[in-house]
Amino acid sequence: MKINGVYIDDTFAEAFPMKATRIIITAMNLKWAYRAANALRGFASSVIACGCEADIEKELSPSETPDGRPGISLLIFAMSMKDLEKQIPMRVGQSVMTTATAACYAGIRDGHQIPMGKSLRYFGDGYQISKKINSRRFWRIPVMHGEFICEDTTGSTKAVGGGNFLVLAKTTRHALSACEKAVEEIQKVPGVITAFPGGIVGSGSKVGSKYDFLPASTNEAYCPTLKGQVDSELTDEIGSVLEIVIDGLDEESINEAMRVGIKAVCSYGPKKGICRISAGNYGGDLGPYHFHLRKIMK
Amino acid sequence: MNPLTFTLKIRPKFTLDVAQLTPDNLAGLNKTKIKSLKLPYGKNKVVLDTLFNVTGSDSKNIQINRSCEKLVSVGRKMSYGSINVNGDVGKILGSYLQGGIITINGNAGSWVGNNMSGGRIDINGNAGDHIGAGKPGDTFGMTDGMIKISGSAGDRVGDRMRSGMIIIYGKAGDFCGSRMHAGTIIVLDKAGKNPGAGMRRGTIILAKKPAHITATFKSNGNLKIQFLRLLFTQLSNMGKEFSIFNKFGPEAHRFSGDLARNGKGEILILQTLNLKKVA
Repeated sequence: MKINGVYIDDTFAEAFPMKATRIIITAMNLKWAYRAANALRGFASSVIACGCEADIEKELSPSETPDGRPGISLLIFAMSMKDLEKQIPMRVGQSVMTTATAACYAGIRDGHQIPMGKSLRYFGDGYQISKKINSRRFWRIPVMHGEFICEDTTGSTKAVGGGNFLVLAKTTRHALSACEKAVEEIQKVPGVITAFPGGIVGSGSKVGSKYDFLPASTNEAYCPTLKGQVDSELTDEIGSVLEIVIDGLDEESINEAMRVGIKAVCSYGPKKGICRISAGNYGGDLGPYHFHLRKIMK
Repeated sequence: MNPLTFTLKIRPKFTLDVAQLTPDNLAGLNKTKIKSLKLPYGKNKVVLDTLFNVTGSDSKNIQINRSCEKLVSVGRKMSYGSINVNGDVGKILGSYLQGGIITINGNAGSWVGNNMSGGRIDINGNAGDHIGAGKPGDTFGMTDGMIKISGSAGDRVGDRMRSGMIIIYGKAGDFCGSRMHAGTIIVLDKAGKNPGAGMRRGTIILAKKPAHITATFKSNGNLKIQFLRLLFTQLSNMGKEFSIFNKFGPEAHRFSGDLARNGKGEILILQTLNLKKVA
């Protein structure tokens, strides 16, 4: 299969079940909401070592937020509910509560409830106030800028993590421009995030390593500098491979995100250095979700 | 289905306890059985049919027409559905309410929503004393739910309330929010003397300066209170009847207390508008 001259490998992306939540951060203005959101999503590119994967989902207008201020919604994914319960209070506490004027609310109400204000309220040292509005409990924690408002809990849902595709290009510059465009398009799809820096993975990994202590290591089959040295997947013309990893609230949203992302990359075509699209999988034995590239792009 | 409607034939001479007329109690009863219900009437009981015309069949939605202040205990222990009353009602409206909505298109007596733990009571008129309060001997007053009064209320609104919200569009009497444990009371017109006297926690929001604040409340000065922004946004999203809250900002003069009880409650006097212009 070829799209605009770009060859689509007959392979599939292998994804895993995850747990996810959405939180809403508001602040005096978008600038400060972004500061809180960026702090929260920092060091959250991969569950391999970060504990969770998180990114900004979208900006929210004042009419879409609980307190009528500008806001940002973030999606946070983890491998288990236990991980999510550990990460959320820690990240909200250290990143949102510490941001001037910021407040934090649940973006998903249903499902297993993950503590936010329920844990953070103790920072109020006895001066915290609980308020129930429309059956939702909020905590008012007195802080030096005024008060930090945080919803008691946020809901959670089953999700899918690890949808991906590889962009094989002549040079890094070619791959990067196409991937940037792809991430831009993926960001328009609701319910998905691309948690790696800029939404792009520069060092895609395979499961395991020759070293016992490492759960993941470089994907040598796609490293251009190892061509000829290992059983490489790359042809001579390919000088750089970048990966886009997508986490989503359901299979359909990942399908759609992969479709618009691959379409955007292919629009660059071979003239702009894009050679092939492939995907990362582990033989299909590890993850129950298989996203077949050719089926998606039909 | 039409709402199950009870229309008073004559004005009762004595207090008439209509606690049985809730969706919970009337579910599954046919009209004959409903008509033969015996209601406490003064010191005796009266067959419902002698005082009410009964029409309609939807017991989830009950309507009482031509009501008057002799009807007491409307909606007692109701847990779902709705009761719509056209006319005044007497004391103990919505006591022990657990869910559903009671709407009164008239005035209500004292002890509205005492011990309620959920649901909502809308009074499109005035209400008496002890709204959302606990009865003598009770540890707490209302523990959840919402009471909205479009007119004024009497003394001791929210006495010992534990949680929930009371909104009074008109005036409130003396000792509003006395001995509160938690919850929120909003008064959009003048409140009487000594709001919050003896309160331990909770929030009393006043659109106007009250007649007198006890000396055991400490001024925290004029502040922008983030919680008010959240509260007013949430309320104004609840429908047209709450759109007035769009007009309020987060600026308020905060008093904390009651220090005589080592209290951590607060009285917030809104700074932003003259309500008369809005109402």
